[in-house]
Amino acid sequence: MAKRLKPVDVVTIGVGLTGSLMALELARAGLKVVGIERGAPRFTVPDFQSPAIHDELRFSIRKAMMQDNVKEAVTFRNAPDQSALPIRRWESFLPGTGLGGAFVHWNGQSFRFQVADFIYKTHIEQRYGKKILDPELTIQDWGVTYAELEPHYDRFEYLCGVSGKAGNIKGAIQPGGNPFEAPRARGYPTPPMKEPYFGALFREGAATLGYHPYPQPSANLSQPYTNAEGLTLQQCVFCGFCERYACEHFAKASPQTVILPVLFKNPNFELRTNCQVLRINLDSTGKKATGITYSDAAGAEVEQPADLVLITAFPLNNVRMLLLSGIGKPYDPKSGEGVVGRNYCYQTTGGATVFLDESINVNPFMASGANGTMIDDFGGDNFDHGPLGFIGGQYVGAIMTNGRPIEFHPTPPGTPKWGLGWKEAVARHYNHTVLLQQHGTSTASRLNYLDLDPTYRDAWGLPLLRMTFDFPENDIRMSQYVADKVVEIGHAMGAKTVIRGGTKRPYTTTVYQSTHNAGGAIMGDDPKTSVVNRYLQCWDVPNVFSIGASAFPQNGTYNYSMTIGALTYWALDAIKNKYLKAPGPLVHA
Amino acid sequence: MSRELTRTLAAAIASVGVVGAMHAHAQSPSRPPDAGRGAVIAAQGVAPRVPACAQCHAFDGASEGSGAFPRIAGQSTYYLGKQMRDFASGVRTDAVMTPIGKALSTEEVADVAAYYATVASPFLPLKSGDPTLVKRGEQLAQIGDESKHLQSCDDCHGPGGAGEPPAIPYLAGQYAHYIAFQLQMWQRGFRKSSPDAMEYIAKRLDDRDVAAVAAYFQQARTATPPAQPKE
Amino acid sequence: MADLTRRFMLKATGAIGASMLSAGGAAAGTRGSEAASPGGARVAAGASPSIYVFLNREEAAFIESAVARLIPADAKWPGALEAGVSNYIDKQLAGAWGAGERLYRSGPWRPGTPSQGYQLPFTPAELFRAALGAINRDLSQAGTPFARMSSEQQDGYLRRLESGEKNLGGVPSDVFFEHLWQCTVEGFFSDPVYGGNRSMVAWRMVGFPGAYASYYELVDQHGIHIDRAPTSLAEDANGHMIINPGIPAKSP
Repeated sequence: MAKRLKPVDVVTIGVGLTGSLMALELARAGLKVVGIERGAPRFTVPDFQSPAIHDELRFSIRKAMMQDNVKEAVTFRNAPDQSALPIRRWESFLPGTGLGGAFVHWNGQSFRFQVADFIYKTHIEQRYGKKILDPELTIQDWGVTYAELEPHYDRFEYLCGVSGKAGNIKGAIQPGGNPFEAPRARGYPTPPMKEPYFGALFREGAATLGYHPYPQPSANLSQPYTNAEGLTLQQCVFCGFCERYACEHFAKASPQTVILPVLFKNPNFELRTNCQVLRINLDSTGKKATGITYSDAAGAEVEQPADLVLITAFPLNNVRMLLLSGIGKPYDPKSGEGVVGRNYCYQTTGGATVFLDESINVNPFMASGANGTMIDDFGGDNFDHGPLGFIGGQYVGAIMTNGRPIEFHPTPPGTPKWGLGWKEAVARHYNHTVLLQQHGTSTASRLNYLDLDPTYRDAWGLPLLRMTFDFPENDIRMSQYVADKVVEIGHAMGAKTVIRGGTKRPYTTTVYQSTHNAGGAIMGDDPKTSVVNRYLQCWDVPNVFSIGASAFPQNGTYNYSMTIGALTYWALDAIKNKYLKAPGPLVHA
Repeated sequence: MSRELTRTLAAAIASVGVVGAMHAHAQSPSRPPDAGRGAVIAAQGVAPRVPACAQCHAFDGASEGSGAFPRIAGQSTYYLGKQMRDFASGVRTDAVMTPIGKALSTEEVADVAAYYATVASPFLPLKSGDPTLVKRGEQLAQIGDESKHLQSCDDCHGPGGAGEPPAIPYLAGQYAHYIAFQLQMWQRGFRKSSPDAMEYIAKRLDDRDVAAVAAYFQQARTATPPAQPKE
Repeated sequence: MADLTRRFMLKATGAIGASMLSAGGAAAGTRGSEAASPGGARVAAGASPSIYVFLNREEAAFIESAVARLIPADAKWPGALEAGVSNYIDKQLAGAWGAGERLYRSGPWRPGTPSQGYQLPFTPAELFRAALGAINRDLSQAGTPFARMSSEQQDGYLRRLESGEKNLGGVPSDVFFEHLWQCTVEGFFSDPVYGGNRSMVAWRMVGFPGAYASYYELVDQHGIHIDRAPTSLAEDANGHMIINPGIPAKSP
């Protein structure tokens, strides 16, 4: 029999980026907030300090910061006619865990999405007509516009201190920035980072081809910065241990550096760690949540009643929590009915390897997570797709983040896979090779979705999430088109050899690509085709909000952390100013 | 011994290459640096305006232990060269070093740096600081302080404060008084190098923490290079 | 310059084994154990300063010879064997990873598509034990233990394993080979604290500076040549490696 605690106003399922932000604002608004985090607490000092943190085997290869598959995995298949099997070791995507979540060990790549992204269906159909869309694609508008989110993007960027060069301020294109970016009210909080050599080589090559290189916006800061919460970040030192690692210098925006010290001072907030939420409890109508039940560190079941339940657990876990709790109608790909699990998307990535002359010392180990130089000329809908027969695009850039040798030891085509020839090639090319990244849209398809697995369970006996996904043919055509452009840039950089990139089917879970899982609990204007409304409130259970990239109807060109932050502030605005004053549905469909 | 030799020597020798490549900050020297010539400058200065380095820093770079003059033995050529340029340009100011920095040519700076980078030098038997202060300094050096938003010094200054050549100097064995003084120079805005790192960090240290890291690093030990590499 | 570094590195390779035992660190010149040399593959098997806690003698013999072919020594740089990769593999198999940390280990087990990744019930320790047992039985029955084959024969055998030609006690040989190769790369390039990459030879080979990493001053000096000796997270200010004292690093 679960122990029942005294009710609180708000409970957050997960204390990562979205949970921390929600907790901070709502505790400040006077509500009693409990943050339930399944992982452990951790702090910059002592947990993120060097040299222990600079351990490639432990953090990159063994994935020490990530969710533990022993207890909870995800099952996977490429298509509905296959049997899903457990992803027994994380490779393709790496769900985080622990206080601060994946925002502790992200790369700091801090883009906004584009205007067209939020009205994608309307925009594409207006520009190209429905016929450009392959029949299985299910793109949708978000229900919120870029203009509505802009002040929230601004607020989140200034919380994080993002370093960058604006390209479009209120419609005026700024030299040195990204001319394709969505219009911003003002510049970035801090100037762009120093440009490493690989970025400079890319910039010169891309510029000779007439493209528009710009510095990648970065949440690993170029200089010390104090945010509106009074928290200060330091300057990034380009240590080359960014993604999968926490920052020892307080230089990467994370809940630890930009939110938590203030949150922890607020007596309205209580943090409970090592607690696994099992489900959201509903009343007998099924339309109201009464709170959550979790298993604490010692395995005891605890019921926490709450007026407002915020699912802030990372996209995949958000969707699973809805399914386990019976909130919303699960999606059935055969009938096309139902919404929970629908429009699961990923990110279409890949890129070229550019082998340069051995006189060029690239020094890839001197790098930060977001110190790239890139172009948006092939991003999103920035180019005319009419004659091309696909939608979507990718940004392209030299965005090397490290030279860690277990992960990075490129060899040119024809090199043996092991032995003396391999070793000689590795020694020869390690310091004279640049990786170019292609990173872009993942188009929603009725064939790609999430549901609960019928066979495999987690350590608590609950069904694992089942992922059915392959890259839509549209996205393959798109990435192959961009791959040719990237080869040209490689040669313009002076390459002796270029290994072409581009994505192929089938999608495999065995190679790292991105942790930008998205969709499954998407937002929209119509409860028949979305799980949450434009304020991320569940249509079916109005006192539950599902916050995160699970809300994206499809994934845009860019890394999505800034967009998640903006959406979270947007939802918070609605919760504080509308919902708390009159709890109930905020949108009547 | 050979491991330390490897590291410091390789750093010293490489730093020589680095100085050559680093023309963003100074004219390239016209010839490779010459530690032998550097030794002569260290011993007798350059008439008429440059006194012998040895007068303050000792011929072996260990200075005289009061901390009025820093230990420079085994410091990387890159770092030594950069300090001379910083004195010449005003990024650092010191009544004695500024005119010396201005008077030495690019070649002379490279030569002296090459000499002091490889000179053999013992650690002077100085009295240890207050043990609780040293313990606090060790904590800041190896772990940091969450409440003060301070990462560990060793993150940048290397294992045990041995430095991270070429650009980041060793602190192990540096004199407490000198370390404290430089941190105060940053706190007061007189030392303008590394404004976003060292000035920022110095300003977060209170007087006790300054004394603590100073006391800790003075008694910390690292290997020092011999005068000449032996096979 | 490269010569100098290599000479010192080679001396240190011998010295490191001794200095691991006494962190006090007397001058390495007194050690005198110049066991490693560029052609070390033939020498180091006898000089390998490791106690194996997981691998039995037969298994260790195969692993040592195999890694010596996967990343061989050459005139310029030692290879995996000299770098202690067999020690790394042994300690990994004996530890949490070998026992199946971070591996979803519930059944049912079914063969999957390549996209679905590893679907066998074996933990890495079980996988190596099964595969090595099968290999050693196979080869001893044929009268040709792996360690006594010529280099060409060893390469040929490894390629047959790599192609998936054999079933090794339930482990497809390509799956075993993939594990072996991945472990070899890890053991070669990981921090020496894990027992491989001795004297950081692999990091010196490629020019990776190691665990202490702070490059703000240098990142915009494009093309600068960085030649400092690498640093391990396990070393102190005097360059001594402080590694788990519970695992002795020298044969009695």
